[in-house]
Amino acid sequence: MNYTWNWHIFLEPNPTGAGTYLDMLLAGLKVTIVTSLSAWVIALIFGTIVGILRSLPSRLATWIGFLYVEFFRNMPLLVQLFLWFFVLPELLPRTAGLWLKQMPNAPFYTAAVGIGLFMSARVAVQLAAGIGSLPRGQKMAATALGLTTLQTYRYVLLPMAFRIILPPLTSEFLNTVKNSAVAITIGLIELTGAARAMQEFSFQVFEAFSAATLMYLVINVIVVIGMRLLERAVAIPGYITGK
Amino acid sequence: MIEISHVNKWYSPSFQVLKDCTTSVAKGEVVVVCGPSGSGKSTLIKCVNALEPFQDGSITIDGLKVNDSKTNLPKLRSRVGMVFQHFELFPHLKIIDNLCLAQQKVLGRGREEAIAKGRKLLERVGLKEQAEKFPAQLSGGQQQRVAIARALAMDPIAMLFDEPTSALDPEMISEVLDVMVDLAREGMTMMVVTHEMGFARKVAHRVIFMDRGEIVEDAKKDEFFGQPRSERAQQFLSKILSH
Repeated sequence: MNYTWNWHIFLEPNPTGAGTYLDMLLAGLKVTIVTSLSAWVIALIFGTIVGILRSLPSRLATWIGFLYVEFFRNMPLLVQLFLWFFVLPELLPRTAGLWLKQMPNAPFYTAAVGIGLFMSARVAVQLAAGIGSLPRGQKMAATALGLTTLQTYRYVLLPMAFRIILPPLTSEFLNTVKNSAVAITIGLIELTGAARAMQEFSFQVFEAFSAATLMYLVINVIVVIGMRLLERAVAIPGYITGK
Repeated sequence: MIEISHVNKWYSPSFQVLKDCTTSVAKGEVVVVCGPSGSGKSTLIKCVNALEPFQDGSITIDGLKVNDSKTNLPKLRSRVGMVFQHFELFPHLKIIDNLCLAQQKVLGRGREEAIAKGRKLLERVGLKEQAEKFPAQLSGGQQQRVAIARALAMDPIAMLFDEPTSALDPEMISEVLDVMVDLAREGMTMMVVTHEMGFARKVAHRVIFMDRGEIVEDAKKDEFFGQPRSERAQQFLSKILSH
């Protein structure tokens, strides 16, 4: 293989004139982190609402939850981002579409919302399963005490359901970070985008993507450790999940 | 206090769980409901505070109709204590918080008042020392006594017990029954689904015998144990009292 390794490339100035190649990658890393966190927050909010809907006794609620989940989880993420970014502005009334297209940072908002909604379907399924795994008597006991349905979820069902699904939620959080790379296709210069830009300007493809890989690894190790700590912090004395 | 009038309930058109059940519980009265498994006794007691819907008939508590869409069900339920077979304490809350949750969220009591009330009731059921523990750190008998205290914290006008000792080891049954006997002697209105005939003999005023969804026998305690009218109740009694 005719390849000249050059690990010093990171310290050389990048062609944008603003700092080194390393700065370029770090800027991409920052975008990845902000995009992933925003998407994760959206995923948790919508996933919680839809997960609750799926667990309610009401036919209408479960039906809405079912449609939502099947819509967002049965289409490739790439296609969804294209839909939100390229198709949605054309479908809207002219002024609204124009406003969307001219919005500064449009790729970022589209990515955060698009990935967030895609992941929310998965969070919803997990949460509904978590709620379903609780004994039926828990809801009855809360209801019998006079708690309303909303209070029953808020104070009794959700605190337990979320504890139970923390391990699979960790995976979903990691997936959110990894899926943020898809946003490169709608022009978001996140970590993968920055690595590709570096490769195009410097031709040091292996160095660029080695560094990007390492950065993804570091983010996800931090996520894993953080979630572990959270699991430990909310563990209930004497209570063993799934045993 | 509790009026049950011609209640019919179907799980499906071909499966009727309650057949024309009519009975009542007067203020201060202790009524024991017994019968073979699958006879509908648990279902009936769950209908009383509308934890289970029923299609036909009516139930009123203290003059308020349970199966009326205008009735404020959470409020009505908060006035009727219920104890379940599997305790159904909220595992993520400390014992004292199990007792405080509904006091604060349903009755709107202040935190201090709720804690004071909770501690008093824990002392009453002999568990003062356990206030800061979690449910999983307590034995079954202790958990059930906490569940009784949790129901009493709402100052109920009546108490419903759904097989409160069926899930307990033999040596723990008596500690729970002792608490119930005390309650009965203090004049609490109680409806108790149980197989504990010793408890029935000691404190019940009336015994209801159910079989296949029907109230077969509804008699004063002495009549029931002395000479049950129905053959089915005679068989039942001879079987469970033979040992």
